[in-house]
Amino acid sequence: MAEHTLEIALAVGVLTPLFSFWALVFFGPKLGKPAAGWFGVVFGMGVPLACATYVLFGWLGAMEAGESAALTANAWRGTWAVLGDVPITIGVKLDSLTVAMYFMVTFIAFWIFFFSVGYMQGHSDEVAGQRKYWRFFAYLSLFGFSMLGLVVSSNLVFLFIFWELVGLCSYLLIGFYFDKPVPQHAQMKAFITNRVGDFGFLIGLMLVYFHLGTTDLDEAAAVFAQQAAAGTGIFASHFTMFGWSLATIMGVGLFCGAMGKSAQFPLHVWLPDAMAGPTPVSALIHAATMVAAGVYLVARVFRLMTPDALMFVSLIGCLTLTLMALIAVVQTDIKKCLAYSTLSQLGYMIFGLGSGAWIAALFHLITHAFFKAMMFLGSGQVIEGCHHEQDMRKMGGLWKKMPVTCITFLVGVLAIAGTGIPGTQIGLGGFFSKDEILAVSYARAFEWDDASKFEESGHGEGHGGEHADVSPPTKRVMLASDPVQHGDDHAQPTHAVLEAESHGAVGAASIFAYTPKLPKWMFYLALFTAYITPFYMMRAWWLTFMGKPRDDHVYEHAHESPMMYIPLAVLAVGTVFASYSLFRPLIADASIVGSAAPLVMAMAGDSHSHAPAIHVAHDFLKVGVGGAFLVGFLLAIAIYRNGLGLGEKLKRAFGPIHTLLDNKYYIDELYDLVFVKGFVLIANIARFVDTWIVDLLVNLFAAAAERFAAFCGLILDTHGVDGIVNGVAKSSRDFGHVVRLPQTGRVRHYVLAATGVATIVFLCVLWASREASDVALAAVSASLGN
Amino acid sequence: MTIGLTHYLVVAAVMFVTGLFTMMTKRNAIGILIGVELVLNAATVNFVAFDRYLGPDRLDGQITAIFVIVLAAAEAALAVGICINVYKNLSTVDVDRANSLRG
Repeated sequence: MAEHTLEIALAVGVLTPLFSFWALVFFGPKLGKPAAGWFGVVFGMGVPLACATYVLFGWLGAMEAGESAALTANAWRGTWAVLGDVPITIGVKLDSLTVAMYFMVTFIAFWIFFFSVGYMQGHSDEVAGQRKYWRFFAYLSLFGFSMLGLVVSSNLVFLFIFWELVGLCSYLLIGFYFDKPVPQHAQMKAFITNRVGDFGFLIGLMLVYFHLGTTDLDEAAAVFAQQAAAGTGIFASHFTMFGWSLATIMGVGLFCGAMGKSAQFPLHVWLPDAMAGPTPVSALIHAATMVAAGVYLVARVFRLMTPDALMFVSLIGCLTLTLMALIAVVQTDIKKCLAYSTLSQLGYMIFGLGSGAWIAALFHLITHAFFKAMMFLGSGQVIEGCHHEQDMRKMGGLWKKMPVTCITFLVGVLAIAGTGIPGTQIGLGGFFSKDEILAVSYARAFEWDDASKFEESGHGEGHGGEHADVSPPTKRVMLASDPVQHGDDHAQPTHAVLEAESHGAVGAASIFAYTPKLPKWMFYLALFTAYITPFYMMRAWWLTFMGKPRDDHVYEHAHESPMMYIPLAVLAVGTVFASYSLFRPLIADASIVGSAAPLVMAMAGDSHSHAPAIHVAHDFLKVGVGGAFLVGFLLAIAIYRNGLGLGEKLKRAFGPIHTLLDNKYYIDELYDLVFVKGFVLIANIARFVDTWIVDLLVNLFAAAAERFAAFCGLILDTHGVDGIVNGVAKSSRDFGHVVRLPQTGRVRHYVLAATGVATIVFLCVLWASREASDVALAAVSASLGN
Repeated sequence: MTIGLTHYLVVAAVMFVTGLFTMMTKRNAIGILIGVELVLNAATVNFVAFDRYLGPDRLDGQITAIFVIVLAAAEAALAVGICINVYKNLSTVDVDRANSLRG
């Protein structure tokens, strides 16, 4: 393969949406209503999808030929700027994770763009009295550019730049109908909440810059591992905060960015409100791609995380996944229900990353993106068909009116619930990804103290050389079934292991030597939520599509349109088939270099044959959650089979709990109380200080200055300065009067004066030299005498 | 009686005082000019007399006298020009009327 072909294809895919954005901004109004949309579909995402497909197949070919590691190592880098001594490189991060994410984003985004054309036909494109149809697609294209740029960035600085750009696009798109108050407030909430997280990101970035001396992801990881092994650099610092070392703070800071973007507790509040935006936006940005950027970031900086930082990541993920799943149970708005479900699933991903399930978390990210985007589009179809009705209590029985939506939505429900047959390889996306996260967290919580179960494998991968030659065909462990069956034939490339070593796996080993056990309650919460998820998803599906129609008006109106259900069908097929066989191996390939951590190697790796702990975990999970989806489904169907009656009774029975959940634990109110009211209080105090202290001082100074000025003006100026000036003028005038007196203008006076003066001078001279004149006279008379 | 230096000096003094008196008393510009000529010529007489009696072998006084005569000629030309201009402007040569530079 020609050199750099893949990078060029990726770069073209990134830049085409930017061109589309530019073109739509300037020529969108001329293109008109459907044409601008189709332009956005083709140039905003069609071309990137073509590039992504080309790259995907090129990459798979390279992997087969064993060239992928060389491609990763030789990926193009250029120096963009030099800050101090630190060069900021620009380049393409070319590895399996990029390829997988890139393909996922372009594929989903393309179908959502397509869906948007249909969606916007049914919606007003008037904002503040002007037609803004083209603007919607311009924003979507800009989002495509930013998101793809984020995925291919090889440098934390560029990652951050694109990170902010996707945040901006999110803001613009949530508030597309900015003349309405609800989207307006939602967009501001989203933006401001993200700023909180981004501040942490910036702190982490600065620590990386100052202590690691490079912002390139790979170089930073290598430096970090070296510093950890040698105890130098950031590890030499004695600074601690909350018991965290500086290295941990760096990891936590970077994670704060992910908390904002991926809406992790306690910064999750913006995501449900963001559903005020148009439904394609919710599907694209707030379900599939942008919110996954946080998870992607954590995966990218995984190598910069210390065990303490990872424990914090686990804690946040665990809290999010549990608390949000519980809220989803009581939601009645179909989009809000999906939003909380998204939050919970993002929590799973973050929890998985923190626990060391690097592969599983990213795999879950991709499967989740497919089915959640599909479900959001389905909900958009439902809302559209039901005349903008979002309340599930008014729906019901819609399967007759919109069969395609109903079936695709069901596929999504089955996928998110982790439906599959335990002990086999038959199942949908969530079945593999979520169980793998649970398996790893189980092993971390229960088996981790017995390090010998992991040591051999972790060690073996860390020092790949000795095992590489004799490594049996690799087996991948990831689901609640006998792993031997899907060991398949993804042979582990030896060079990837060596690559890991060259990236400082030895140093990484010393970081992770002190990784603590995961608290057991975290595992139990995740397990518990695995039962909750199927329940609320089945509840949503049943309330919407099954049972009897509860509102005739809504039911009468319901319909579906092909423009909108074609993407649904495509994504449903993708959910069922593409994810496991395609993406799981890709991510597993990336994990060697992407995580470089013995932790991940031990937990999820190919070392299955060496690690009994994973066996134990899977044996347990086979029993523990293998049937969770059935339990959840049956419970939901049992409660809502006959409409809302039983649900209402349960609601009354669990009154306080329901109220608590319905109000989202009062977190919004708490924020309102602490931040909004607190800010108002501080503002009032500031106003008081301003009025009574600052203003008072200022006024006092003003009055004093006024008095002083009056004194200066009246006394000093009038009598002092003016006095001198006028005095000089007056005295010279008086002097002039005196000296002009002799100037009479009469010649005789002048002659008289001249004569008089000459006479006086003559007499004076004579008198002064009277002796000399005597001598002179004597001389004269003597000469006369001669 | 031998005519000596003193006689010359007396004649020159009389001329000088006469000229000075003329300058003081006359209001006619031409009259004043005549007074000035008298004063100048008194000085010339003195120069020639002192040269003759105090330094007969030197020519300083003689040369100065010639110089004064030339100077007087130039001065007379200039002064008469001024007088003509005064007359043109004021229609008179009365110097008391030409007092616009009075202090």
